[in-house]
Amino acid sequence: MASELMTMPYYKVNILTGTKAAKVVSEPAEAASIIDKATNPLYVFGAEVIDSPVGDKLLIDFALDIAKSRNIPICATAHVKKKMMELGVLPDSTYDIIEIVHFLKDKNWMGVRGKGFHDLVLFTGVRCDLAERGLSTLKHFAPHLKTFAICRRSHPNADFAVPIITKTEKWRGYLEGVIGELGTA
Amino acid sequence: MSKGKLREEEIRRIIRADDEWEPVGPTPMPSLTDLRNWDFRLLDTYEPFYAPFCDLCCLCTFGKCDLTGDKKGACGIDIAAQQARWILICSLMGTAAHGAHGRHMIEHLIEKYGEDFKIDLGSQVNVEAPIIRTVMGLKPENLGDLRKAIEYVEREMIHLVSATHMGQEGSYRDFESKAFHAGMLDHVALEAADIAQIVGYGLPTSIADTALVDLGWGAIDVKKPTIVVVGHNAVTANAIVDYLRQHDLYDKVEVAGLCCTALDMTRYDSGAKVIGPLSRQRFFLKAGLADVVVTDEQCVVTDIPQMASEAGAAMVACSDKICYGLEEASAKTADEILQDMLENQKQFLILDSEKAAEVIVRAALALAPVRQERKKIMTQEEAALVSAKCRGTCEACNRACPNLLPINVAINQARQGDFAKLGSVFLRCIGCAKCEEACVNDIPIQKVMQAAAASDTYKIRAGRGPIHDVEIRKVGSPIVLGTIPGVVLFAGCSNFPGDIDDVAWLAEELARRKYIVTLSGCAAMAASMRKDEDGKTIYEKYIPEFDAGCIVNVGSCVSNAHVVGAAIKIANIFATLPNRANFELMADYILNRVGACGVVWGPYSQKALSIGTGAVRWGIPVVLGPHGSKYRRLFMSKKEAGDWNVIDGRTKQVVNTEEPTPEHMMLVTETKERALVTIIKQCFRRNDTPPGRAIKLNSYISAYKQVIGGLPDDLQNFVRTEKEIPIVYKREVIAYLKEVGWKPKTVLSLPTIIGTYETKVPIEATIK
Ligand code: SF4
Ligand code: SF4
Ligand code: SF4
Repeated sequence: MASELMTMPYYKVNILTGTKAAKVVSEPAEAASIIDKATNPLYVFGAEVIDSPVGDKLLIDFALDIAKSRNIPICATAHVKKKMMELGVLPDSTYDIIEIVHFLKDKNWMGVRGKGFHDLVLFTGVRCDLAERGLSTLKHFAPHLKTFAICRRSHPNADFAVPIITKTEKWRGYLEGVIGELGTA
Repeated sequence: MSKGKLREEEIRRIIRADDEWEPVGPTPMPSLTDLRNWDFRLLDTYEPFYAPFCDLCCLCTFGKCDLTGDKKGACGIDIAAQQARWILICSLMGTAAHGAHGRHMIEHLIEKYGEDFKIDLGSQVNVEAPIIRTVMGLKPENLGDLRKAIEYVEREMIHLVSATHMGQEGSYRDFESKAFHAGMLDHVALEAADIAQIVGYGLPTSIADTALVDLGWGAIDVKKPTIVVVGHNAVTANAIVDYLRQHDLYDKVEVAGLCCTALDMTRYDSGAKVIGPLSRQRFFLKAGLADVVVTDEQCVVTDIPQMASEAGAAMVACSDKICYGLEEASAKTADEILQDMLENQKQFLILDSEKAAEVIVRAALALAPVRQERKKIMTQEEAALVSAKCRGTCEACNRACPNLLPINVAINQARQGDFAKLGSVFLRCIGCAKCEEACVNDIPIQKVMQAAAASDTYKIRAGRGPIHDVEIRKVGSPIVLGTIPGVVLFAGCSNFPGDIDDVAWLAEELARRKYIVTLSGCAAMAASMRKDEDGKTIYEKYIPEFDAGCIVNVGSCVSNAHVVGAAIKIANIFATLPNRANFELMADYILNRVGACGVVWGPYSQKALSIGTGAVRWGIPVVLGPHGSKYRRLFMSKKEAGDWNVIDGRTKQVVNTEEPTPEHMMLVTETKERALVTIIKQCFRRNDTPPGRAIKLNSYISAYKQVIGGLPDDLQNFVRTEKEIPIVYKREVIAYLKEVGWKPKTVLSLPTIIGTYETKVPIEATIK
């Protein structure tokens, strides 16, 4: 599975027309090790984290656990900040999705905590067609970083993508797997 | 190539340079490179942001060429320039669509009334054509002058199209400058087209309080013979209205429209009805409620002949842009056409609008009695039955949906008699029918939606056309001072990311904060599709004037020109700066002093792209909904780290204002909540006085707290002095500013970027 490339995501509007496709990360352990290797990661939360249920929890609950496990700074796009405040967490940045992608293109940008460019950017919950556009921007114009779309609909323009996972239980299992692996790494 | 002497003389002749209404400015009828320095100055602060749709270029037979990473095409082009080339190509499509529309309309009216037919926009509008005056230096007096405007657009377009050929332009910045040129030309065409139809058809002008018109598919009395016009060019639609009036049939036949033809037809006759925007075309036509379907041009779904024939309706195409392979029948008699149409269900192209009108009306009268049985929408029982095979598990429909909707759940529930979810899917559906095509069980999903869709009737105000000079005199000062916090235009299409009526929410949030809200096209229609607890739409609740807290429907897509025109008029009428052939002076004024923002929440067409691109050249920032990311180019600054130098018009010194206003020139936001705060922010201008900025900041903070939560974390960029902090938020804002180490910034009363780049415009020209 490790060498599989994602060209046909869940949404046909995101089919890859190109030559450089994401590597499919089927195993949570592999996902955790990608995150673990990053020296200055960033986690971008899209609007859907606050209204996508995964079992009896929301997607944001899992995303927050991943971020917490490695103290990964969070960029809360759209109106995600409001929900985060309810959950007692403040984001490190509130740039909207296109703004954060715009800044990530610039290798000289100091990042959301002023520590220099982010070498790995995780995305969860961004509207899939918009996420795919932003990932394309970074694929073409940000060779200094890697992107990882932690999304069950899968994203060919990312460097790393989760395979298509239609069953909610399996998706929950994947997310818990990543969190579990990070917890023990 | 610089302009030769002969061309300069020709331009002086075209614009009647010796007419002395104003001295001719530095750029009469600018050619491709005349405004390039202005464009580059904008691009220095607002860098193009590209989101490639495709890694490849396949434009010529050298290719396909892979452009990923730092690879170049066989011709040498790189991925950024290739994106910019696409933008130019798409902007040209949009400009061509409006330009060809304008040419058709103007030629039709010249045939009827002659080229000397006078332009008179009524007692309230003296500056009749601010865009044409500014760009060309021509004060159009008659239809013949409007044709000159279209000829200018055509002349420039040939050079722009040429630049997109393989092995021509190679720099993304120059492609963007050319796209700006295409966008500006688009605005010339819009203005010419709308002025022509206003004077030629006597559409409303110089009044604000236009009629309230019925909108929605429920508004159509389908028991009557029903004619539905689809598209953007009302020549034939108006001929239908004329025919009905002449034959005393107007109250016996329903005439309704989809897209801008509908809006323009209701400007001509407020008894006509609007069914809805583009996203409702397939839904309505598949319902079979129309006896005759009429297509003209632009944004018309291309399988209308098939849908009409499946519904047993007659179909007539009326534009040379959309012929569908049909026989052109203008030379035949109406009787001959009707015989073939009614006996053999033959569809026709009829370019002669008067003949088309007769055929269409007579066909509707003949077909209506025999089609009553077919004019029934699907009941919930029928819908459940045809959905019987869905178990909601295969999700082929969802995967095909470009608006990412959960159709599987909705159809599976409908099968079991619960239509609530399908109703909510319908509110977000853009009507592409991709789900239906993908369904493994051939469920006619668009038809099933009939059983879930509300059939309410809404009220929309007929488009009022130009903003009045007297309105500009009244609001000019508060807009420039910032005490009216902004002018917002909702334009464009119905490719909405969320519910169809979200535009109404945005418009109302702004109107109640005292913004001047204007709307046009499909956005204007969608904004009427929400009622308050008293059953009123925003058009019934808000005053239709160009003033603080009012809501104005200017009209169709071509009417967008009047909002850009209003921004120019603020510089020209209120600030008395000369606009004749003075593009940079006007655009600089708008960029620095007129808090205007364009919004295309449901973008899909190339026309919307060219309108938006043109707006940016005028200094008007544009906010797009998420589908706008598929245009693949935006313009964004580096925020506080960008170049915010201006010249202080009084001292002529360069001043670093350190304030990113307007912050971006074209950007996408993901949700309506984010759009609201972004629009508010995009109305900040460097010219705002401290009381004006305080009002704008008050809107920003209140909206931010409402929809995002807490204080905005970029207040330090926009608060220049303590006086600007809104009183209600004073304590928390001061605490926040202290925490982030805020320092006061310079407040200028005459900021200009003229003089920060090479231009023929002297700094003195910016001061009156
Ligand atoms: S235009 Fe250039 S990049 Fe495109 S296919 Fe031809 S050679 Fe390749
Ligand atoms: S018709 Fe509507 S629901 Fe079906 S795919 Fe298109 S947008 Fe989605
Ligand atoms: S594709 Fe058809 S059968 Fe499958 S889930 Fe969608 S509507 Fe149901």
